[in-house]
Amino acid sequence: MNKVFAILWKDILSELRAKEIAASVLFFAILVIVVFSFAFDPEDDTIGLVAPGVLWVAFTFAGVLGLNRMFAMEKEKGCLEGLMLCPVDRDIIYWGKMAGSFIFMIIVEVVVTPIFLVLFDLPLFMPELALIAVLATVGFVSVGTLFSALATNTRAKDVLLPILFFPIVIPVIICAVKASEVAFDGKPFGDMLSWLGIMGAFDVIFLVVSSLVFEFVIEE
Amino acid sequence: MNQTNSLKYNLLLGLSFVLIMASLALVFLYAPTEKEMGEIQRIFYFHVPLGWIAFLAFFVVFVSSILYLRNRDSKWDTLAHSSAEIGVIFTTLVLITGPIWAKPVWGSWWEWEARLTSSLVLWLTYLAYLLVRSYAREESRGARFAAVMGIVGFINVPIVYLSVRLWRTQHPPHLVDTLEGSMLLTLLIGVAAFTFLYVLLAYHRTTLMNQARKVRILRQTLDEREE
Amino acid sequence: MDNLDYLFAAFAVVWIGIFGYILFLSRKQRLLQREIESLEARVSKRGSHEA
Repeated sequence: MNKVFAILWKDILSELRAKEIAASVLFFAILVIVVFSFAFDPEDDTIGLVAPGVLWVAFTFAGVLGLNRMFAMEKEKGCLEGLMLCPVDRDIIYWGKMAGSFIFMIIVEVVVTPIFLVLFDLPLFMPELALIAVLATVGFVSVGTLFSALATNTRAKDVLLPILFFPIVIPVIICAVKASEVAFDGKPFGDMLSWLGIMGAFDVIFLVVSSLVFEFVIEE
Repeated sequence: MNQTNSLKYNLLLGLSFVLIMASLALVFLYAPTEKEMGEIQRIFYFHVPLGWIAFLAFFVVFVSSILYLRNRDSKWDTLAHSSAEIGVIFTTLVLITGPIWAKPVWGSWWEWEARLTSSLVLWLTYLAYLLVRSYAREESRGARFAAVMGIVGFINVPIVYLSVRLWRTQHPPHLVDTLEGSMLLTLLIGVAAFTFLYVLLAYHRTTLMNQARKVRILRQTLDEREE
Repeated sequence: MDNLDYLFAAFAVVWIGIFGYILFLSRKQRLLQREIESLEARVSKRGSHEA
C-alpha cells in the first residue's frame, strides 16, 4: 500500500512542478463547454435537455487528454523504465497511476463543474453530482490507465487511446449522463440508483480486470 | 494437409454448403409469411443468426486471448485475430441489415434499440481490437495488446447491454419467444449454416495467417544469410 | 406491405459481404503463393551457387 502512495506522491510532485497538463486539460474542458454553448442556443429551452450530455462529453474528452499525457510524460523522460525496475509488483504501478489520474480528473471536475452550472443556469449546490462524478471518474481511469499505458508503447499513441477508450466507456457515459439528468431535473435520488449501480459494477469489474492484465501491457 | 485433415475439411465444406442451401430454401420457400411485417420479416432468418454467430466469434476471441496471455502460444493469438476479423464482418452485416429491416417496419432507419446499439458498440470495440495490432511496434507486442483489448471488450458486453437497455426502454417484440414451429426450424437451420460458415472461414483465415508467418520467418532467415 | 426490394437489398448485402471476404482471403492466398515461389527460386539459386 505504501508503494502505491509512493508512486502517487511522485506523480503529484512532478505535476505540481510542471503544472503543464493540469492547466491545459482544465482549459480544454472549459473550451468544450463553451463551444457546445454556441452549438446549441443557450436561450432556448432545449439547452436543459442537452446540458448533462455537454458536461460529460467535456469530461470524457478532457479525460482522454489527461490520460494520454499520464504515461507519455514518463516515456519521454525515460521514467517508465525506472518505474519498471522498481522491486514492486506490476499492479502496484497500476494502482498508483490510477490513483494519480483519479485525483487529477477530480480536480479538473471540481473546477469546471461550477463554471458549467453557471453557464447553463443550473442550481449550484448538488451533492448527488459529486457521487456521480466519483463513480464515473473511477470508471474512466480504471480502463483509461490501462489503455494509456498500452497506447504509449505503440506508434500512434495519440490516436489509439481514444479509439480504445471510447467504446469501452460508453456504459459509463450513458449512466453518468442519465444520472446527471435526474439531478438537474431535481427528481428524487431513488431515480438515479440504477444508473449509479451500473457505474459501480463497471468500476469494480474494470478495476479488478485492469489490474490483472496491466502487467501484459507494460512488459517489454 | 494430411489425409484425415483433408477428409475432415471436405466434410466441413460439404456440410456448410448443404446447410446454406437448405437455409436459403427454408427462408424463401418454406417459412410462412409473417402476418404483421410481411415478406420483409424474412431478413430475420439471416440477420439474427449473423448476430449470434458474431457474438460467438467474439467469445472465441475472449477465450483465446486469455489462453494466449497464459501460454504465449501464437496459435491462440492467430485464432483470436481470425475470429475477431470474421466477427467484425458479421457484425457489419448485422448493422446493415438491421436498418434495412427497421425502415419499412418502424419507419426509421435506426432505432437506438438495445440489441442493435450493443452490436454497434461491439463493432467499434473489435475494430479497435484489429487496429491495436497494426499500430504496435513488434508483432508479439501487438498480439499482447490485442489480447488485452479482447478480454476487456468482451467483459464490457453485458454492462453495455444492461445500460443501453435501461437507457432505451422501448422494446420491439422478442420474436424468438413467440416463433411458431416452422419459423423456429428455419431460424435454427440458419444458425447452423452460419456456424459452419464461421468455422470454415476461421479455418481458412488461421491457415493463411500461419502460412504468412512462416513465409515471413523464412524470408528473414534468407535475407540474413545472403547478407 | 411486401417490401421485397428491402428484402432483396438485405439479402444481397449479406452475400456480397461474405463473398467479398472470401475473395479477399483468396487474394491473400495468391499473393502468399507468389511469395513462396520467389523464395523457392532464391533457395534453389543459392543451392546451385554453392554446388
